Amino acid sequence: MPEALTPADSNGPGANSATEVVITHEDVDRGHDRVRVRAARAQSGFFGHARLLWLLLGPGVLVMLGENDGPSMLSYAATGAQFGIGFFLPFVALTFGMAIVVQEMTVRLGSATHRGHAELIFERFGPFWGWFSLMDLGVGNFLTLITEFIAIRAGLGFFGVPPWIAVVCALALLYSALLTHRYWTWERITLAIAVGNLVFVPVALLAHPDWHSVGHAFAAWKPLPGGLSQNTLILMLADIGATVTPWMLFFQQSATVDKGLTRKDIRFGRIDTVLGAVLAAAAAVATILVTSLLYTHHMSAENFQAAEFAEALRPLIGRVGASLFALGIVEAGMVACVTISTSTAYAFGEVARRPHSLNLPIGEGRAFYSILFLCAAVAAAIVLIPSLPLVYVVLLVNVIAVLAMPPALVFLYLLVNDREIMGDLVSPVWANAFALLVVVLLTGAGVLFGLSVIAPHLFARLGGT
Amino acid sequence: MTAKEKREIVLAQAERDLILASLERDQLAAFKKHDIPRRRLKGPELLVLWSLRIYLLFMLAVVVYQVLHVAK
Repeated sequence: MPEALTPADSNGPGANSATEVVITHEDVDRGHDRVRVRAARAQSGFFGHARLLWLLLGPGVLVMLGENDGPSMLSYAATGAQFGIGFFLPFVALTFGMAIVVQEMTVRLGSATHRGHAELIFERFGPFWGWFSLMDLGVGNFLTLITEFIAIRAGLGFFGVPPWIAVVCALALLYSALLTHRYWTWERITLAIAVGNLVFVPVALLAHPDWHSVGHAFAAWKPLPGGLSQNTLILMLADIGATVTPWMLFFQQSATVDKGLTRKDIRFGRIDTVLGAVLAAAAAVATILVTSLLYTHHMSAENFQAAEFAEALRPLIGRVGASLFALGIVEAGMVACVTISTSTAYAFGEVARRPHSLNLPIGEGRAFYSILFLCAAVAAAIVLIPSLPLVYVVLLVNVIAVLAMPPALVFLYLLVNDREIMGDLVSPVWANAFALLVVVLLTGAGVLFGLSVIAPHLFARLGGT
Repeated sequence: MTAKEKREIVLAQAERDLILASLERDQLAAFKKHDIPRRRLKGPELLVLWSLRIYLLFMLAVVVYQVLHVAK
């Protein structure tokens, strides 16, 4: 049997128990990452800070760009095509502000407790509530994963790639990033792909937007064109669901833990989150700007799928622009496939008490990697079923994400205000007020949607059309 | 050989010291098995959680209805 470390061997914070400390592969990888962080922190000046930021950024950018996924980009595209920029540009920017406040809480939770979100809910509130949360996450993630493969299939379809090749390529990329069995390498590969989300920015520039109108849209925040109809409400919910969803809470907290962030790193965790939100908002706004061309040219876009948006845009922004748009849709689906399947695997590992880290060798993390592999493979297989109804399903996935968000936010609120586990890192009053406001707004929007479906007359009396 | 022993790896003394000095206690895989004490939810908290649970189930039924309605 290999010799085990005893805490007495160490000057580190592990030295607090008489039992032997078993050092695993996961600990060694994370420990080496922390050594580099410590070295960067010892450096002073601009380059020291820049290196520290480079080492610590990751979960925030990944979660925000990951949430700019296939259904989200399709929601933004449908928004621009159906309503132009007047109401929705500032609305989308506001939803990203909401995402920053919510996601920052997961950075604090992960750094303070070194536990994942699912694990904390199970241990702190018991398995009864834990299973409810896990079911919400599992069902939501699986439906969303299906839509990511729909996006990849549709985006690559623009270039004439057959669906099965598109799906197999996506799975191969997903699994090849895992083969490194190193969190740091996985994170850098996924970040490199995620930055591709910004391809929507040059596409927007090719559309030659009227910058005066864009500035005016942000400054004036015009009312909804045509009033509040059920269709508008679905798009609004889909746009909210494109920025705040339950999987984001689970993913960022688990990734923060897996990366090994501590209380000292929270400031950089916040910068990481804000940077991610700014990049994701830029891509979202760019997408609305591009497809608003369809609105200004009075082209009906109610039934456009991802690749059909690119086709419709081709006469307006050229072949290069349309190709980049289609590639952006593929990239959006790809990154989300990686992050969403990882969030499912993290949550499963945390609840089943099985090793759950991207630092695990395949042999040690069999359960973790199997879940990740299986949920992606099954979702990919479903997408290959012929004549699957796509557009409405894709939009409704984001709507479902919004509906599942209030219960998830209440657990987040309870955990982040739990002084026993958070110590002095409990949420300030303003953040709590904002979180509760988000819960009320999301619940209210959900109730309005419900009324528009089951009691349209009552919805009309409330101002709906 | 137990699962715990299987995961354990042999390290040089200097590296072991480095790893233990770099990680906080709760970051070590061995310490993650320890439970966090359970917290009893209070009445108002339970009320909110149950209300939102019912809300979610109801709204999911509405979404299913809407999908079927559109499919028709």
